[in-house]
Amino acid sequence: MNVYYFLGKGGVGKTTVSAAWSVGLAKKGLKTLVASIDPAHNLGDAFATPISDRIMHINAHLDAVEVNIEEMIRAYLNELSTKMKNTYRYLSAMNIDRYFDILKNSPGIEEYATMEAIKRLIALRDYDAVVFDTPPTGMTIRVLAMPPVSLVWTEQLIKMRKRILSTRGMVERVQGKFEAEVDGEKVVLSSSEKEDPIMQELLSYREELRALRDMLSSDYSYVNIVTMAEDLALFETKRIIKLLDGFKIKVRNIFLNKFFEIKNPPDEIKGKIEEQEKVIEKMKTEIKGIEIKDIPLLRKSPRGIDELFNIYSKYLA
Amino acid sequence: MKRLLYFLKKSFDVFDKAMKEDSTSFIRKQLEEEENIFALITMGIFSGIPSPPTGIVLRILPHMSREISIMIKRSANLDDVFGEIMGTFNVD
Repeated sequence: MNVYYFLGKGGVGKTTVSAAWSVGLAKKGLKTLVASIDPAHNLGDAFATPISDRIMHINAHLDAVEVNIEEMIRAYLNELSTKMKNTYRYLSAMNIDRYFDILKNSPGIEEYATMEAIKRLIALRDYDAVVFDTPPTGMTIRVLAMPPVSLVWTEQLIKMRKRILSTRGMVERVQGKFEAEVDGEKVVLSSSEKEDPIMQELLSYREELRALRDMLSSDYSYVNIVTMAEDLALFETKRIIKLLDGFKIKVRNIFLNKFFEIKNPPDEIKGKIEEQEKVIEKMKTEIKGIEIKDIPLLRKSPRGIDELFNIYSKYLA
Repeated sequence: MKRLLYFLKKSFDVFDKAMKEDSTSFIRKQLEEEENIFALITMGIFSGIPSPPTGIVLRILPHMSREISIMIKRSANLDDVFGEIMGTFNVD
């Protein structure tokens, strides 16, 4: 399975390009899923058909979904809150729901939920290709950076936990089984990694993060940037490439969208066209090893499968 | 004689348990410190301390009952840290 990510600022045309790409892949006979993980969904607009948070068929080879990240966060925290209330009876007196309201808005929860959505969709083995229309660049970079950053933390927490278990072992060797009172009950605190649920959870999460990190930097992941031929957009594109390179994630294509292709431009936009040409020159000189494709500014935004396939066959293939 | 031996054995058991508890009291205090720090680092989000990415916290939170109870106990004793340290060294 190949996984395609389309990154870019809001309004550059990520949704159109990712939708067109998915139509093109489906036309080649590849069973394709196109998923919007951008909270501001536009996939339904691109296909000119309503798309919900349940996977639906667009045609014989193409399915689509608009993931409801907020609902995922809410459902997950509810499940956790119920588990916590059952496990920690005395905490229910502390009104634990108040703390889960904080978590709902905490830094990182949206990135976590978005990565969980990516994991779940990639885990569906029915597809030859999954195409992601991603949130605006800042959020997507944080999502893609989540596995390597979380790995650093997890390794440190594993080291700390090993130290705690080793100290418990010292107590155990002198006085035998180490018992403590927790939540009004006597529990045996094990010094064994296999019996410590926190250590097991950390080790299991580390394996998941390693798999995610390897998946994102594998040859099956295609990260593409959709941008425009403007100075500020060029700076941002170079920053994104450098940042992702730090996480060993390769950018494969840059799509220069809304490109002016006008034979006799009016004076009002001559300056823009000159800027565009300079930016393209700079891009070709300064960005090596990445294919750059132009998509001209169209008279009207493509809507529906036929128009999207037209975009794919003329400019993206 | 049997009763004396039984009485002696019981006394030694109690003595042994007390000595073991005494000898491990510092290690147990160290252990509580380590567990408290672990709890603070993982759950610092609730008190503004830089904390791990939320995903890690959410995964281990259901298993942190002992660590949470230590953290709550330590927070409650924070207004008499001096008294607590003196208690650790058995100073009356």
